[in-house]
Amino acid sequence: MEHGHEDLQKHVRKYFKIGVILCVFTIITVGLSFVELPTHNLNIIVGMIVATFKAALVALIFMHLNHEASLIYKILLFTTVFVTGLFVLFYFAHGDGLVFTGFDSYPGTPYGGAPH
Amino acid sequence: MDIPFTRKPRPDTGLYNAKLGIWLFLASEVMLFGGLFSSYIFLRVGADYHWPVHELNVTLGFVNTLVLIISSVTVVMAWANLKMRKIGAYKLCMWITIASAGIFMVNKSFEYKAKFEHYGVKLKDGTIVTGHFPEGGYRIEVEGGSKVSMSVKTGDPSYFLAYAKGDAPKFKTAAGAEIELNGSTWADLAKEAKEAKQNTITFTAVSPLNLAVKESATFTHTANSVTFRDGTTVEGTSVKDAMTLQVDKVDVRASDDPDKSLAWHYMGADWKHAFEAHRKHAAEKYKSFDTKDARFLRHVLQMEIHHPTVAAHNEAHPAEKHAAEAKAPADGGHAASGHDSHYPEITIERKDIAFWSNFTPKWNTYYAIYFILTGLHGMHVIAGALVLAYFLICDKKLLREDPDHLANRIEVGGLFWHFVDLVWIFLFPLLYLL
Repeated sequence: MEHGHEDLQKHVRKYFKIGVILCVFTIITVGLSFVELPTHNLNIIVGMIVATFKAALVALIFMHLNHEASLIYKILLFTTVFVTGLFVLFYFAHGDGLVFTGFDSYPGTPYGGAPH
Repeated sequence: MDIPFTRKPRPDTGLYNAKLGIWLFLASEVMLFGGLFSSYIFLRVGADYHWPVHELNVTLGFVNTLVLIISSVTVVMAWANLKMRKIGAYKLCMWITIASAGIFMVNKSFEYKAKFEHYGVKLKDGTIVTGHFPEGGYRIEVEGGSKVSMSVKTGDPSYFLAYAKGDAPKFKTAAGAEIELNGSTWADLAKEAKEAKQNTITFTAVSPLNLAVKESATFTHTANSVTFRDGTTVEGTSVKDAMTLQVDKVDVRASDDPDKSLAWHYMGADWKHAFEAHRKHAAEKYKSFDTKDARFLRHVLQMEIHHPTVAAHNEAHPAEKHAAEAKAPADGGHAASGHDSHYPEITIERKDIAFWSNFTPKWNTYYAIYFILTGLHGMHVIAGALVLAYFLICDKKLLREDPDHLANRIEVGGLFWHFVDLVWIFLFPLLYLL
Protein backbone atom coordinates (compact mmCIF):
# COMPACT_ATOMS: atom_id res chain seq x y z
CA MET A 1 0.00 0.00 0.00
CA GLU A 2 1.54 3.29 -1.07
CA HIS A 3 1.12 6.30 1.17
CA GLY A 4 1.50 9.96 0.27
CA HIS A 5 3.64 12.23 2.43
CA GLU A 6 0.58 14.17 3.62
CA ASP A 7 -1.31 10.96 4.35
CA LEU A 8 1.51 9.73 6.56
CA GLN A 9 1.73 13.03 8.41
CA LYS A 10 -1.97 12.61 9.25
CA HIS A 11 -1.35 8.98 10.25
CA VAL A 12 1.35 10.01 12.72
CA ARG A 13 -1.05 12.35 14.48
CA LYS A 14 -3.65 9.58 14.56
CA TYR A 15 -1.18 7.08 16.07
CA PHE A 16 -0.37 9.57 18.78
CA LYS A 17 -4.06 10.11 19.56
CA ILE A 18 -4.72 6.36 19.70
CA GLY A 19 -1.78 6.00 22.08
CA VAL A 20 -3.33 8.58 24.42
CA ILE A 21 -6.73 6.83 24.23
CA LEU A 22 -5.09 3.50 25.09
CA CYS A 23 -3.37 5.03 28.13
CA VAL A 24 -6.65 6.57 29.29
CA PHE A 25 -8.44 3.24 28.95
CA THR A 26 -5.65 1.54 30.90
CA ILE A 27 -6.32 3.93 33.77
CA ILE A 28 -10.05 3.18 33.44
CA THR A 29 -9.33 -0.58 33.56
CA VAL A 30 -7.33 -0.24 36.76
CA GLY A 31 -9.92 2.06 38.33
CA LEU A 32 -12.83 -0.21 37.42
CA SER A 33 -11.11 -3.22 38.97
CA PHE A 34 -11.27 -1.49 42.37
CA VAL A 35 -15.00 -0.73 41.99
CA GLU A 36 -17.02 -3.59 43.45
CA LEU A 37 -19.83 -4.26 40.97
CA PRO A 38 -22.78 -6.42 42.13
CA THR A 39 -20.86 -9.60 41.28
CA HIS A 40 -17.19 -10.20 40.57
CA ASN A 41 -18.11 -11.87 37.29
CA LEU A 42 -19.56 -8.53 36.20
CA ASN A 43 -16.19 -6.94 36.98
CA ILE A 44 -14.52 -9.56 34.78
CA ILE A 45 -16.97 -9.01 31.92
CA VAL A 46 -16.58 -5.23 32.02
CA GLY A 47 -12.79 -5.57 32.25
CA MET A 48 -12.74 -7.88 29.23
CA ILE A 49 -14.97 -5.54 27.21
CA VAL A 50 -12.57 -2.65 27.86
CA ALA A 51 -9.59 -4.89 27.02
CA THR A 52 -11.25 -6.05 23.79
CA PHE A 53 -11.90 -2.43 22.81
CA LYS A 54 -8.22 -1.58 23.44
CA ALA A 55 -7.08 -4.65 21.53
CA ALA A 56 -9.35 -3.69 18.62
CA LEU A 57 -7.78 -0.22 18.47
CA VAL A 58 -4.30 -1.75 18.34
CA ALA A 59 -5.32 -4.26 15.66
CA LEU A 60 -7.29 -1.85 13.48
CA ILE A 61 -5.09 1.26 13.67
CA PHE A 62 -1.56 0.19 14.61
CA MET A 63 -1.68 -3.08 12.69
CA HIS A 64 -3.55 -1.44 9.80
CA LEU A 65 -6.32 -4.03 9.82
CA ASN A 66 -8.81 -1.30 8.90
CA HIS A 67 -7.46 -1.39 5.35
CA GLU A 68 -5.64 -4.57 4.41
CA ALA A 69 -5.46 -6.97 1.49
CA SER A 70 -8.34 -9.46 1.52
CA LEU A 71 -5.96 -12.43 1.88
CA ILE A 72 -5.10 -11.35 5.44
CA TYR A 73 -8.76 -11.30 6.44
CA LYS A 74 -9.14 -14.81 5.01
CA ILE A 75 -6.21 -16.05 7.11
CA LEU A 76 -7.62 -14.36 10.20
CA LEU A 77 -11.05 -15.85 9.57
CA PHE A 78 -9.51 -19.34 9.83
CA THR A 79 -7.67 -18.33 12.99
CA THR A 80 -10.82 -16.96 14.57
CA VAL A 81 -12.72 -20.18 13.82
CA PHE A 82 -9.99 -22.33 15.35
CA VAL A 83 -9.42 -20.18 18.39
CA THR A 84 -13.18 -20.10 19.03
CA GLY A 85 -13.07 -23.89 18.73
CA LEU A 86 -10.45 -23.96 21.50
CA PHE A 87 -12.74 -22.10 23.87
CA VAL A 88 -15.74 -24.21 22.88
CA LEU A 89 -13.70 -27.33 23.60
CA PHE A 90 -13.04 -25.96 27.05
CA TYR A 91 -16.76 -25.41 27.53
CA PHE A 92 -17.52 -29.04 26.59
CA ALA A 93 -14.79 -30.37 28.85
CA HIS A 94 -15.97 -28.23 31.74
CA GLY A 95 -19.63 -29.17 31.28
CA ASP A 96 -18.88 -32.87 31.06
CA GLY A 97 -20.81 -34.46 33.91
CA LEU A 98 -19.05 -37.80 33.73
CA VAL A 99 -17.07 -37.51 36.93
CA PHE A 100 -15.66 -40.83 38.08
CA THR A 101 -16.23 -41.20 41.81
CA GLY A 102 -14.78 -44.68 42.30
CA PHE A 103 -16.10 -48.17 41.67
CA ASP A 104 -17.78 -48.39 45.04
CA SER A 105 -20.19 -45.58 44.17
CA TYR A 106 -22.21 -47.91 41.97
CA PRO A 107 -23.27 -50.79 44.26
CA GLY A 108 -25.21 -53.55 42.59
CA THR A 109 -23.85 -52.75 39.15
CA PRO A 110 -21.05 -54.59 37.41
CA TYR A 111 -18.81 -51.72 38.58
CA GLY A 112 -19.66 -51.95 42.24
CA GLY A 113 -19.31 -55.63 43.10
CA ALA A 114 -21.86 -57.11 45.48
CA PRO A 115 -24.55 -54.83 46.91
CA HIS A 116 -24.01 -53.95 50.57
CA MET B 1 19.31 -15.08 -5.66
CA ASP B 2 17.12 -12.23 -4.53
CA ILE B 3 13.92 -12.87 -2.64
CA PRO B 4 11.13 -11.54 -4.87
CA PHE B 5 8.53 -8.99 -3.81
CA THR B 6 10.37 -7.56 -0.82
CA ARG B 7 9.28 -4.03 -1.69
CA LYS B 8 6.38 -4.12 -4.15
CA PRO B 9 3.27 -6.19 -3.48
CA ARG B 10 2.88 -9.48 -5.32
CA PRO B 11 0.08 -9.11 -7.87
CA ASP B 12 -1.86 -12.24 -6.85
CA THR B 13 -1.77 -11.79 -3.07
CA GLY B 14 -1.73 -8.02 -3.04
CA LEU B 15 0.97 -8.17 -0.35
CA TYR B 16 4.73 -8.05 -0.25
CA ASN B 17 5.92 -11.48 0.77
CA ALA B 18 7.18 -10.68 4.25
CA LYS B 19 3.80 -9.28 5.24
CA LEU B 20 2.01 -12.47 4.22
CA GLY B 21 4.65 -14.37 6.18
CA ILE B 22 4.27 -12.38 9.39
CA TRP B 23 0.48 -12.66 9.30
CA LEU B 24 0.65 -16.43 8.92
CA PHE B 25 3.06 -16.47 11.86
CA LEU B 26 0.80 -14.21 13.94
CA ALA B 27 -2.12 -16.53 13.16
CA SER B 28 -0.19 -19.40 14.76
CA GLU B 29 0.76 -17.11 17.66
CA VAL B 30 -2.94 -16.43 18.24
CA MET B 31 -3.45 -20.18 18.54
CA LEU B 32 -0.53 -20.50 20.99
CA PHE B 33 -1.74 -17.76 23.31
CA GLY B 34 -5.38 -18.80 22.74
CA GLY B 35 -4.52 -22.23 24.11
CA LEU B 36 -2.89 -20.70 27.16
CA PHE B 37 -5.79 -18.31 27.78
CA SER B 38 -8.09 -21.30 27.51
CA SER B 39 -5.97 -23.07 30.16
CA TYR B 40 -6.23 -19.96 32.32
CA ILE B 41 -10.04 -20.18 32.24
CA PHE B 42 -9.90 -23.92 32.93
CA LEU B 43 -7.60 -23.48 35.94
CA ARG B 44 -9.55 -20.54 37.28
CA VAL B 45 -12.96 -22.19 37.03
CA GLY B 46 -11.62 -25.41 38.55
CA ALA B 47 -9.53 -23.82 41.32
CA ASP B 48 -10.18 -25.30 44.78
CA TYR B 49 -8.72 -22.23 46.52
CA HIS B 50 -9.49 -18.51 46.50
CA TRP B 51 -8.22 -17.18 43.16
CA PRO B 52 -5.86 -14.26 43.86
CA VAL B 53 -7.16 -10.81 42.95
CA HIS B 54 -4.92 -7.71 43.15
CA GLU B 55 -2.20 -9.94 44.56
CA LEU B 56 0.51 -8.90 42.10
CA ASN B 57 2.11 -5.47 42.08
CA VAL B 58 -0.58 -3.46 40.27
CA THR B 59 1.61 -0.34 40.01
CA LEU B 60 4.40 -2.23 38.24
CA GLY B 61 1.90 -3.91 35.91
CA PHE B 62 0.27 -0.55 35.17
CA VAL B 63 3.61 1.13 34.41
CA ASN B 64 4.54 -1.79 32.15
CA THR B 65 1.22 -1.43 30.30
CA LEU B 66 1.95 2.24 29.63
CA VAL B 67 5.50 1.41 28.55
CA LEU B 68 4.20 -1.12 26.01
CA ILE B 69 1.58 1.32 24.67
CA ILE B 70 4.23 4.02 24.23
CA SER B 71 6.52 1.58 22.42
CA SER B 72 3.63 0.52 20.17
CA VAL B 73 3.09 4.16 19.19
CA THR B 74 6.81 4.76 18.59
CA VAL B 75 7.31 1.65 16.46
CA VAL B 76 4.47 2.59 14.10
CA MET B 77 5.78 6.19 14.07
CA ALA B 78 9.24 4.88 13.19
CA TRP B 79 7.72 3.19 10.15
CA ALA B 80 5.81 6.34 9.09
CA ASN B 81 8.89 8.54 9.58
CA LEU B 82 11.02 6.20 7.50
CA LYS B 83 8.38 6.28 4.77
CA MET B 84 8.62 10.09 4.86
CA ARG B 85 12.45 9.81 4.86
CA LYS B 86 12.73 11.58 8.21
CA ILE B 87 15.70 9.47 9.18
CA GLY B 88 16.47 11.23 12.48
CA ALA B 89 12.91 10.82 13.75
CA TYR B 90 12.88 7.21 12.53
CA LYS B 91 16.01 6.38 14.52
CA LEU B 92 14.76 8.15 17.64
CA CYS B 93 11.45 6.27 17.55
CA MET B 94 13.25 2.96 17.11
CA TRP B 95 15.56 3.64 20.07
CA ILE B 96 12.60 4.58 22.27
CA THR B 97 10.90 1.30 21.29
CA ILE B 98 13.95 -0.78 22.15
CA ALA B 99 14.51 1.13 25.40
CA SER B 100 10.85 0.49 26.32
CA ALA B 101 11.41 -3.23 25.89
CA GLY B 102 14.36 -2.91 28.27
CA ILE B 103 12.31 -1.02 30.87
CA PHE B 104 9.53 -3.60 30.58
CA MET B 105 11.90 -6.50 31.23
CA VAL B 106 13.65 -4.75 34.14
CA ASN B 107 10.26 -4.15 35.79
CA LYS B 108 9.35 -7.77 35.11
CA SER B 109 12.52 -8.97 36.80
CA PHE B 110 11.67 -6.92 39.93
CA GLU B 111 8.23 -8.49 39.91
CA TYR B 112 9.60 -12.04 39.55
CA LYS B 113 12.27 -11.50 42.20
CA ALA B 114 9.66 -10.30 44.70
CA LYS B 115 7.70 -13.53 44.11
CA PHE B 116 10.77 -15.75 44.47
CA GLU B 117 11.57 -14.18 47.86
CA HIS B 118 8.01 -14.20 49.19
CA TYR B 119 6.72 -17.32 50.93
CA GLY B 120 3.35 -18.80 51.72
CA VAL B 121 2.89 -21.26 54.57
CA LYS B 122 -0.26 -23.35 54.79
CA LEU B 123 -0.82 -24.49 58.34
CA LYS B 124 -2.47 -27.78 59.25
CA ASP B 125 -5.84 -26.11 59.97
CA GLY B 126 -5.96 -24.45 56.53
CA THR B 127 -4.80 -21.01 57.67
CA ILE B 128 -2.31 -19.38 55.32
CA VAL B 129 0.35 -17.03 56.59
CA THR B 130 2.62 -15.30 54.11
CA GLY B 131 5.84 -13.41 54.59
CA HIS B 132 9.59 -13.35 54.23
CA PHE B 133 12.34 -15.36 55.81
CA PRO B 134 14.90 -13.56 57.92
CA GLU B 135 18.51 -13.59 56.67
CA GLY B 136 19.51 -17.18 55.95
CA GLY B 137 16.01 -18.55 55.36
CA TYR B 138 14.51 -21.69 56.85
CA ARG B 139 17.17 -23.63 58.77
CA ILE B 140 17.01 -27.00 60.47
CA GLU B 141 19.41 -27.15 63.40
CA VAL B 142 21.30 -30.35 64.07
CA GLU B 143 23.65 -30.77 67.03
CA GLY B 144 26.19 -33.37 68.11
CA GLY B 145 26.82 -34.71 64.63
CA SER B 146 28.65 -38.02 64.97
CA LYS B 147 28.71 -40.21 61.87
CA VAL B 148 28.89 -38.89 58.31
CA SER B 149 28.41 -41.22 55.34
CA MET B 150 29.09 -39.88 51.91
CA SER B 151 28.40 -41.29 48.49
CA VAL B 152 31.58 -41.89 46.51
CA LYS B 153 29.84 -41.08 43.25
CA THR B 154 27.85 -37.95 44.10
CA GLY B 155 29.26 -36.76 47.43
CA ASP B 156 30.86 -33.35 47.87
CA PRO B 157 32.07 -32.37 51.36
CA SER B 158 31.68 -28.64 50.71
CA TYR B 159 27.94 -29.21 50.21
CA PHE B 160 27.15 -30.16 53.80
CA LEU B 161 30.08 -28.31 55.41
CA ALA B 162 28.64 -25.04 54.07
CA TYR B 163 26.03 -25.38 56.83
CA ALA B 164 28.45 -26.23 59.65
CA LYS B 165 28.58 -23.79 62.55
CA GLY B 166 31.82 -22.70 64.25
CA ASP B 167 35.35 -23.91 63.36
CA ALA B 168 35.96 -26.35 60.54
CA PRO B 169 35.14 -29.76 62.06
CA LYS B 170 37.70 -32.58 62.09
CA PHE B 171 36.93 -36.16 61.11
CA LYS B 172 38.42 -39.61 61.52
CA THR B 173 38.31 -42.07 58.64
CA ALA B 174 37.38 -45.74 59.07
CA ALA B 175 41.10 -46.52 59.00
CA GLY B 176 41.60 -44.22 62.00
CA ALA B 177 43.40 -41.32 60.31
CA GLU B 178 42.40 -37.85 61.49
CA ILE B 179 41.68 -35.55 58.57
CA GLU B 180 40.26 -32.20 57.66
CA LEU B 181 37.56 -32.85 55.10
CA ASN B 182 38.03 -30.70 52.01
CA GLY B 183 38.09 -31.01 48.23
CA SER B 184 41.58 -32.53 47.95
CA THR B 185 41.37 -34.97 50.90
CA TRP B 186 37.97 -36.08 49.61
CA ALA B 187 39.28 -36.57 46.08
CA ASP B 188 42.04 -38.86 47.38
CA LEU B 189 39.68 -40.91 49.54
CA ALA B 190 37.09 -41.17 46.76
CA LYS B 191 39.77 -42.43 44.37
CA GLU B 192 40.84 -45.13 46.84
CA ALA B 193 37.24 -46.13 47.47
CA LYS B 194 36.55 -46.40 43.76
CA GLU B 195 39.49 -48.72 43.32
CA ALA B 196 38.20 -50.84 46.24
CA LYS B 197 34.70 -50.79 44.62
CA GLN B 198 33.24 -49.09 47.71
CA ASN B 199 30.05 -47.04 47.31
CA THR B 200 30.12 -45.02 50.50
CA ILE B 201 32.78 -43.61 52.79
CA THR B 202 32.05 -43.16 56.48
CA PHE B 203 33.65 -40.63 58.79
CA THR B 204 33.38 -40.02 62.50
CA ALA B 205 33.36 -36.48 63.80
CA VAL B 206 36.11 -35.87 66.38
CA SER B 207 35.35 -32.17 66.97
CA PRO B 208 31.86 -30.72 67.62
CA LEU B 209 29.75 -30.93 64.47
CA ASN B 210 26.75 -28.60 64.63
CA LEU B 211 24.77 -27.69 61.55
CA ALA B 212 22.14 -25.13 60.56
CA VAL B 213 20.86 -26.66 57.35
CA LYS B 214 18.87 -24.93 54.67
CA GLU B 215 15.74 -27.02 54.19
CA SER B 216 16.08 -26.96 50.40
CA ALA B 217 19.57 -28.52 50.66
CA THR B 218 18.16 -31.63 52.30
CA PHE B 219 16.64 -34.69 50.77
CA THR B 220 15.02 -35.96 53.96
CA HIS B 221 15.52 -35.39 57.65
CA THR B 222 14.41 -37.20 60.81
CA ALA B 223 14.88 -36.60 64.53
CA ASN B 224 18.38 -38.11 64.44
CA SER B 225 19.71 -37.78 60.91
CA VAL B 226 19.69 -35.48 57.95
CA THR B 227 20.31 -36.53 54.35
CA PHE B 228 21.58 -33.92 51.92
CA ARG B 229 20.82 -33.69 48.23
CA ASP B 230 24.27 -34.98 47.32
CA GLY B 231 23.51 -38.19 49.22
CA THR B 232 25.51 -37.33 52.35
CA THR B 233 23.88 -38.43 55.62
CA VAL B 234 24.86 -36.84 58.91
CA GLU B 235 23.76 -38.54 62.11
CA GLY B 236 22.97 -36.04 64.83
CA THR B 237 20.11 -34.77 66.97
CA SER B 238 17.65 -32.41 65.37
CA VAL B 239 17.31 -29.69 68.02
CA LYS B 240 15.18 -27.26 66.02
CA ASP B 241 12.91 -27.97 63.09
CA ALA B 242 10.90 -24.81 62.92
CA MET B 243 10.47 -22.04 60.39
CA THR B 244 10.98 -18.41 61.33
CA LEU B 245 8.75 -16.15 59.26
CA GLN B 246 8.24 -12.38 59.13
CA VAL B 247 4.48 -12.38 58.67
CA ASP B 248 2.92 -9.83 56.29
CA LYS B 249 -0.52 -11.41 55.92
CA VAL B 250 -2.81 -13.81 57.73
CA ASP B 251 -5.48 -15.47 55.59
CA VAL B 252 -8.03 -17.52 57.53
CA ARG B 253 -10.48 -18.00 54.63
CA ALA B 254 -9.69 -21.72 54.41
CA SER B 255 -9.22 -22.15 58.16
CA ASP B 256 -11.40 -24.70 59.95
CA ASP B 257 -12.32 -22.06 62.53
CA PRO B 258 -10.93 -18.51 62.14
CA ASP B 259 -11.22 -17.90 65.88
CA LYS B 260 -9.13 -20.94 66.72
CA SER B 261 -6.72 -20.55 63.82
CA LEU B 262 -3.24 -21.89 64.45
CA ALA B 263 -1.98 -18.46 63.41
CA TRP B 264 -3.13 -17.00 66.74
CA HIS B 265 -1.26 -19.73 68.59
CA TYR B 266 1.92 -18.36 67.06
CA MET B 267 1.07 -14.67 66.70
CA GLY B 268 -0.41 -14.27 70.17
CA ALA B 269 -3.60 -12.85 71.63
CA ASP B 270 -2.87 -9.23 70.71
CA TRP B 271 -2.72 -9.94 67.01
CA LYS B 272 -5.86 -12.01 67.31
CA HIS B 273 -7.62 -9.03 68.83
CA ALA B 274 -6.28 -6.79 66.08
CA PHE B 275 -7.65 -9.27 63.58
CA GLU B 276 -11.05 -9.33 65.28
CA ALA B 277 -11.16 -5.54 65.11
CA HIS B 278 -10.17 -5.65 61.46
CA ARG B 279 -12.80 -8.28 60.77
CA LYS B 280 -15.54 -6.28 62.45
CA HIS B 281 -14.52 -3.09 60.69
CA ALA B 282 -14.32 -4.77 57.26
CA ALA B 283 -17.62 -6.61 57.74
CA GLU B 284 -19.26 -3.26 58.45
CA LYS B 285 -17.64 -1.67 55.40
CA TYR B 286 -18.72 -4.50 53.09
CA LYS B 287 -22.06 -5.22 54.74
CA SER B 288 -23.91 -4.89 51.40
CA PHE B 289 -22.15 -8.07 50.24
CA ASP B 290 -23.37 -11.61 50.72
CA THR B 291 -21.27 -13.10 53.50
CA LYS B 292 -20.42 -16.04 51.21
CA ASP B 293 -19.26 -13.72 48.39
CA ALA B 294 -15.60 -14.38 47.65
CA ARG B 295 -14.97 -10.64 47.77
CA PHE B 296 -16.49 -10.31 51.23
CA LEU B 297 -14.27 -13.14 52.47
CA ARG B 298 -11.24 -11.59 50.79
CA HIS B 299 -11.71 -8.29 52.58
CA VAL B 300 -12.90 -9.64 55.90
CA LEU B 301 -10.98 -12.86 56.55
CA GLN B 302 -7.57 -11.62 55.45
CA MET B 303 -5.45 -9.17 57.36
CA GLU B 304 -2.40 -7.51 55.91
CA ILE B 305 0.32 -6.58 58.35
CA HIS B 306 2.79 -3.77 57.75
CA HIS B 307 4.02 -3.17 61.27
CA PRO B 308 6.23 -5.14 63.66
CA THR B 309 4.00 -4.66 66.72
CA VAL B 310 0.30 -4.59 67.46
CA ALA B 311 0.70 -1.07 68.89
CA ALA B 312 2.15 0.26 65.62
CA HIS B 313 -0.52 -1.62 63.68
CA ASN B 314 -3.31 -0.04 65.75
CA GLU B 315 -1.71 3.38 65.34
CA ALA B 316 -1.97 2.97 61.57
CA HIS B 317 -5.55 1.68 61.67
CA PRO B 318 -7.30 4.18 63.98
CA ALA B 319 -10.75 3.04 62.86
CA GLU B 320 -10.02 -0.42 64.18
CA LYS B 321 -7.98 0.77 67.16
CA HIS B 322 -10.77 1.36 69.61
CA ALA B 323 -12.08 -2.17 69.53
CA ALA B 324 -8.58 -3.62 69.73
CA GLU B 325 -7.60 -1.52 72.74
CA ALA B 326 -10.72 -2.44 74.61
CA LYS B 327 -9.84 -6.12 74.41
CA ALA B 328 -6.04 -6.08 74.37
CA PRO B 329 -4.42 -7.39 77.54
CA ALA B 330 -1.63 -5.38 79.14
CA ASP B 331 1.19 -7.65 78.07
CA GLY B 332 1.86 -8.41 74.43
CA GLY B 333 1.41 -11.65 72.59
CA HIS B 334 4.49 -13.72 72.00
CA ALA B 335 5.08 -12.70 68.40
CA ALA B 336 8.39 -10.91 68.68
CA SER B 337 9.48 -8.32 66.18
CA GLY B 338 12.63 -9.03 64.25
CA HIS B 339 15.53 -6.62 64.50
CA ASP B 340 15.28 -4.94 61.11
CA SER B 341 11.90 -6.36 60.28
CA HIS B 342 8.80 -4.37 59.50
CA TYR B 343 6.77 -7.41 60.38
CA PRO B 344 6.13 -9.55 63.43
CA GLU B 345 8.40 -12.57 63.47
CA ILE B 346 7.00 -15.98 64.40
CA THR B 347 8.58 -19.42 64.60
CA ILE B 348 6.32 -22.17 63.31
CA GLU B 349 6.84 -25.77 64.36
CA ARG B 350 7.32 -28.13 61.43
CA LYS B 351 4.46 -30.35 62.67
CA ASP B 352 1.98 -27.50 62.13
CA ILE B 353 2.98 -26.86 58.52
CA ALA B 354 0.93 -28.62 55.84
CA PHE B 355 2.72 -27.05 52.86
CA TRP B 356 5.04 -24.16 52.18
CA SER B 357 6.61 -22.65 49.11
CA ASN B 358 7.63 -19.35 47.62
CA PHE B 359 5.17 -17.80 45.16
CA THR B 360 6.20 -19.89 42.18
CA PRO B 361 4.26 -22.54 40.21
CA LYS B 362 4.71 -24.83 43.21
CA TRP B 363 2.41 -22.66 45.34
CA ASN B 364 -0.74 -22.94 43.19
CA THR B 365 -2.11 -23.12 39.64
CA TYR B 366 -2.58 -19.34 39.54
CA TYR B 367 1.18 -18.83 39.85
CA ALA B 368 1.77 -21.64 37.36
CA ILE B 369 -0.30 -19.95 34.66
CA TYR B 370 1.03 -16.53 35.70
CA PHE B 371 4.65 -17.56 35.15
CA ILE B 372 3.88 -19.42 31.93
CA LEU B 373 1.89 -16.57 30.38
CA THR B 374 4.12 -13.71 31.50
CA GLY B 375 7.29 -15.72 30.87
CA LEU B 376 6.26 -16.54 27.32
CA HIS B 377 5.15 -12.96 26.80
CA GLY B 378 8.48 -11.69 28.16
CA MET B 379 10.35 -13.90 25.70
CA HIS B 380 8.29 -12.34 22.92
CA VAL B 381 9.26 -8.88 24.16
CA ILE B 382 12.95 -9.82 24.06
CA ALA B 383 12.65 -11.42 20.61
CA GLY B 384 10.74 -8.44 19.20
CA ALA B 385 13.29 -5.98 20.60
CA LEU B 386 16.20 -8.00 19.15
CA VAL B 387 14.63 -8.04 15.69
CA LEU B 388 13.93 -4.30 15.76
CA ALA B 389 17.44 -3.60 17.08
CA TYR B 390 18.86 -5.65 14.21
CA PHE B 391 16.92 -3.57 11.66
CA LEU B 392 18.07 -0.35 13.31
CA ILE B 393 21.74 -1.19 13.80
CA CYS B 394 22.66 -3.73 11.10
CA ASP B 395 20.51 -2.58 8.19
CA LYS B 396 22.47 0.64 7.50
CA LYS B 397 23.18 -0.31 3.88
CA LEU B 398 19.51 -0.98 3.21
CA LEU B 399 18.63 2.37 4.78
CA ARG B 400 20.93 4.14 2.27
CA GLU B 401 20.09 2.13 -0.80
CA ASP B 402 16.49 0.95 -0.47
CA PRO B 403 14.68 2.66 2.42
CA ASP B 404 11.29 1.38 1.22
CA HIS B 405 12.48 -2.19 1.65
CA LEU B 406 13.68 -1.35 5.16
CA ALA B 407 10.33 0.35 5.90
CA ASN B 408 8.62 -2.92 5.02
CA ARG B 409 10.91 -4.74 7.45
CA ILE B 410 10.08 -2.23 10.15
CA GLU B 411 6.38 -2.68 9.39
CA VAL B 412 6.66 -6.44 9.75
CA GLY B 413 8.70 -6.18 12.96
CA GLY B 414 6.17 -3.62 14.15
CA LEU B 415 3.25 -5.97 13.46
CA PHE B 416 4.87 -8.53 15.73
CA TRP B 417 5.50 -5.83 18.32
CA HIS B 418 1.84 -4.74 18.26
CA PHE B 419 0.76 -8.34 18.71
CA VAL B 420 2.94 -8.57 21.84
CA ASP B 421 1.23 -5.41 23.13
CA LEU B 422 -2.16 -6.87 22.26
CA VAL B 423 -1.50 -10.00 24.32
CA TRP B 424 -0.42 -7.84 27.26
CA ILE B 425 -3.68 -5.84 27.02
CA PHE B 426 -5.49 -9.05 28.04
CA LEU B 427 -2.84 -10.37 30.43
CA PHE B 428 -2.74 -7.26 32.59
CA PRO B 429 -6.41 -7.29 33.72
CA LEU B 430 -6.65 -11.10 33.88
CA LEU B 431 -3.58 -11.61 36.08
CA TYR B 432 -3.25 -8.36 38.02
CA LEU B 433 -6.70 -6.87 38.37
CA LEU B 434 -9.63 -9.27 38.12
